[in-house]
Amino acid sequence: MSTNRVDLDYLERAKVGNFDLDWLKNCKSEWGVRAKPSKVGLTLRDISIGSYGQIPDHPERRTMAPRGCDIDGELPDIGYSINSKNEVWAENVMELYEEAVSRQWSATRDIAWSELPELDRDLEHAMCQFATLLSEIEMLASDFPAKWLWRINHDFLEAKMFLCTQIMDEARHSEVFRKRALAGGGGLGKAIPIVEKFLQLVLDAKNYDEGSALMHLLAEGLVLSVFRAGELLAPSPVEKRIFRLCMQDEARHVAYGTMHLRYRLEREPALASDFHDYLDRGEEIIAVMFTTPEVVEPAAILAAGSLKAAEEIGLAASDILRTRVIEEYLSRCDRAGLPRRGKMKLPESILSGTSGGAQGLLRQSA
Amino acid sequence: MPVIEDVIEFPSVEWFDFLCDHSREEPEIYEALGFANFRLAVEITRESGNPRQFGIFFDGYDVISYGELADGSTFDPEAVVSGSIETWREMANNILANGMADSSHTLNALSIADTPLRVYSSDPLGKDKFFRYAETIQTLFDATSRQREGTVVA
Repeated sequence: MSTNRVDLDYLERAKVGNFDLDWLKNCKSEWGVRAKPSKVGLTLRDISIGSYGQIPDHPERRTMAPRGCDIDGELPDIGYSINSKNEVWAENVMELYEEAVSRQWSATRDIAWSELPELDRDLEHAMCQFATLLSEIEMLASDFPAKWLWRINHDFLEAKMFLCTQIMDEARHSEVFRKRALAGGGGLGKAIPIVEKFLQLVLDAKNYDEGSALMHLLAEGLVLSVFRAGELLAPSPVEKRIFRLCMQDEARHVAYGTMHLRYRLEREPALASDFHDYLDRGEEIIAVMFTTPEVVEPAAILAAGSLKAAEEIGLAASDILRTRVIEEYLSRCDRAGLPRRGKMKLPESILSGTSGGAQGLLRQSA
Repeated sequence: MPVIEDVIEFPSVEWFDFLCDHSREEPEIYEALGFANFRLAVEITRESGNPRQFGIFFDGYDVISYGELADGSTFDPEAVVSGSIETWREMANNILANGMADSSHTLNALSIADTPLRVYSSDPLGKDKFFRYAETIQTLFDATSRQREGTVVA
């Protein structure tokens, strides 16, 4: 029988002030729990008090009712499939959410588009190709959390809220790089299959673990290192600011990914071998990107300052960048409790100068 | 009329105090950038003698100078940005000359290749915080330009 009965009698009673007030007199949630704002305002951490502040490892309910509220009767099962806290949680997730909200910026307002200089044709082409690639891959980091958000139990709201900020951040990154490609007269460049193949791998991940490891730790870690190098690659102060602002956002996502994986593995260490498998597959595709002209050459030209200079120095700058990207990724894997040094199964020429492969690890140990 | 040149000593506690004090004069700039939570040590290496470290605490929208960090300091930085005294002085004079660091003299630009500046930390997330708060940290250092006109760093 449907429970959606419209109680017209109640309406009549209420019209003459005969209220029900059961919610007022018989509410079993806490009274007198008073959150105090901290220095920057009333944060998620500040309100994490009383029964609301207790985040269950395995929530009993599958509803959107807030933790700590009084549940009136049977609420419908929303159908969440992620119901273990360690599947999505990270110790820093509340702080990262607050920081993300506080540090938003606008690709329309905060970039000095009118000061974009006219560049040499090859440089403009390189910047546009680079921007096309980044615009393409950045939206993945919106699509992936969006795909999983509704499946995450509502008792883990803070993790969901953080993922919402990531969705907004990455939408802005896609926006700013599209704007850059179209603002300088060069237009959008080439989209290439290998990039799409990686994006598909993340989107098709069979669970949040796999997708999060591939996206938060591997892909966003690599992109963070690329954004960092943006000051070196950027042909003008306009792009330098774009890269710096994107870098700030990306570092938050990587901080979540790293600490989430740590939280997960501390509680279920047996999952480590699964995570190594996920990363093996992801790294294999990333390695192909390191040998893809549409990825490597724009960066080489931007770093050298011109096509001619790039032809003279070859991949010297790109090699430094590749080495740094891999080493920073390996450090984060260490921090997450998933050491990958010596375990990367990529060609030695890709791993040269790093401790990713067995040979490199031996050399560095020596 | 010639500009009278003030000479400000770098590194010095006064230098870092000036930057942090100035952040309180322009709170709206730091509020627009968003809050931060980061304990950063600035390390100055010299040809002779031990490196000197100065502590800066980014606490919400506030920036607090912790002065020079002595051995055994409890400041416990999450990351250290380190470079020679010559590099730091060049960066400071560049900011004084341009009103803000030009694109070759930002902290990130100077540290990309680990030289002439290097960011290090025992925790990669501590190192990543240097990038998470890049705009705030750069804004703080750009306040060097608020010194009196004609000031030089030595």
